[in-house]
Amino acid sequence: MFRDLRNIVSKELKELLRDPKILIGMIVVPLVMFPIIGLVIRGSMESTQQRLQRLEVGLLNFDKGSIAEDLTEFLSTYIIVKAINASSVEEAGEIMQSETNATDLIVIPSGFSENVSVEAEAFIDVYSIFSGTGGFAETASSSAVAGYLEYYKRQRAPDPFQTVSKSIIKGKPTDVPPSMLFTIMYSQVFALPVTISVLLIFSMQIAATSVASEKEEKTLETLLSLPISRFTILSGKLIGSIIVAAVGAVAIIVGLNYYMGSFMLMGDIVGSVDLAAVGLAPTLVGYLVLGASVFMALLSALALAIIISAFADDVRGAQSIVGYLYTVIMLPMLVIMFADFNSLPLAAKIVLLAIPYTHPMLAAQASLTGDYLTAILGVGYLILFTIALLYIAAKLFSTEKILTVKLKLRGLRLRRKTRSPREV
Amino acid sequence: MSFAVEADGLVKVFGNIRALDGLSFNIKSGEIFGIIGPNGAGKTTALRIIATLILPTSGSATVFGRSVTADASEVRRLITYLPEEAGAYKNLSGIEYLKFMGKFNVKIKGKLEEVIEDAGDISGLGERLHDKVKTYSKGMKRRLLVARALMTKPKLAILDEPTSGLDVLHSVHVRKIIKNYVEKHGVTVLLSSHNMLEVEFLCGRVALINRGKMVAEGSPENLKLESKAANLEEVFAKVVGFV
Repeated sequence: MFRDLRNIVSKELKELLRDPKILIGMIVVPLVMFPIIGLVIRGSMESTQQRLQRLEVGLLNFDKGSIAEDLTEFLSTYIIVKAINASSVEEAGEIMQSETNATDLIVIPSGFSENVSVEAEAFIDVYSIFSGTGGFAETASSSAVAGYLEYYKRQRAPDPFQTVSKSIIKGKPTDVPPSMLFTIMYSQVFALPVTISVLLIFSMQIAATSVASEKEEKTLETLLSLPISRFTILSGKLIGSIIVAAVGAVAIIVGLNYYMGSFMLMGDIVGSVDLAAVGLAPTLVGYLVLGASVFMALLSALALAIIISAFADDVRGAQSIVGYLYTVIMLPMLVIMFADFNSLPLAAKIVLLAIPYTHPMLAAQASLTGDYLTAILGVGYLILFTIALLYIAAKLFSTEKILTVKLKLRGLRLRRKTRSPREV
Repeated sequence: MSFAVEADGLVKVFGNIRALDGLSFNIKSGEIFGIIGPNGAGKTTALRIIATLILPTSGSATVFGRSVTADASEVRRLITYLPEEAGAYKNLSGIEYLKFMGKFNVKIKGKLEEVIEDAGDISGLGERLHDKVKTYSKGMKRRLLVARALMTKPKLAILDEPTSGLDVLHSVHVRKIIKNYVEKHGVTVLLSSHNMLEVEFLCGRVALINRGKMVAEGSPENLKLESKAANLEEVFAKVVGFV
């Protein structure tokens, strides 16, 4: 019995490891994928580190007293402190956004030094500035500023003043603490790219299966001999895949929202923040651009999956081949989630922008930041890419190639077999 | 005289393989014409060209006067094609499959039900037509597919190994179905087979092909007479110089 088992296992290993699809899917892709993920995370950490090394904060000093001066001097030894000349926090917020790279604004109110001296209640407002493009990296600077202030307070113990954390969103000051916004941002920075990626991957699987199962079940030849145009067959497959993918996407979004909701530990407090009022909810234009971008990306992904799966002769083979494409979807997703796209080196930006599936991720980000130009250009790029792919897919369906790709491979194998006896 | 099918000097090359090497034949309207030969002789390739699925490397073919290359979409309206290893959508019921296929050919409202009823008679599947295809045996599936190919009374039915993979009884049933249906409705049939007995039973005329070339053509009786052979297998062996 053991001998038989060993024989079968040996055959299975040979069969599987000699299959190039499995070899690449199981071994080569992980070998490439994990270093790429590592590089992205490392790049994100380095970019955060650099951000902290040249941390820049704005200082709006209404006090001018000695302790305020002392605090400014203390902070200046660690970080770049830029004095802001403004009469209000609103004005300072606008100056900060247009003229500085500062990540936070420290506001020292009038009478601060005196209150500290007489040990009365004293406050400092620290506004974290949100741009919405930094992903997880954006949260680090505000923690660093809070840390320096805490360090200063410890040196002047006992607790001379309290810091109140607030936020400036798109130049507008608000009393919402940054920790709360980070929670919301995490969900958006995380949820949108993941949802889009899952939607694309899911749709590609369906489209690939739809063509490959026709080959596997031997129904494709009959279908192609029917009195219907090949473009109708292709369109039917695309639409069918879109419908199934859309149903799947709704399920994913519902599931993901529920999942993310469970992370909202602040519950009611977060619920009380009006995201639209503070500019962190997508506008109608934002939704439209995002919708157009995701739809075009979806259509191109389906066409791509159909083209590629035509080269496989069964469902398993098609899914393996399509699996290679997941890298080009996962890479932009990881970058958008973990790094600040705008601070990436030019070469990396070019590579990412060349990948069509970066654009729906950027559109998702743009729907929050309001940078619609990049997103609209991305939609244009996706439209061109989709048209090219649909043309190739239509060509493939209108010619015999959809059937003969495999025939050629068989032919080569046959030729090899017939040669071998002579070679022996 | 105009033919149902006219094939002239068909050549098909796949890479270094010459699957067809100048094959020519004509089929009269209403006859059952068989292409016979061993595996790899080029039977399926010839049928696929007539069915507009692949293009000939050179040569030409017409179906009722329409070119299979230039007027492919018109040819598809005149034919049905049953591939050798055809399958049906396993998650559809037999009746759903027939309706799905029938809708492409039958555009007149109310006519589809008639066609499906016909298909039910041809297949002999009875109540099992309401079951999913994945529950069918190989024989049942083939009968369903033959019914699909004949139910719309095409001008030309192209059947590649119609009894492929069937046991003796199922084969006899399917052959009878084809013969009766053709006699009743005057459908022209082009079929391929490597089963010489099947061809003798069904075909009025046959073309024997080997390595993509025609080696003999005529009625089974004449071919046997000319080669002084007891059956078509012997004819084939003699014309290719095997014996």
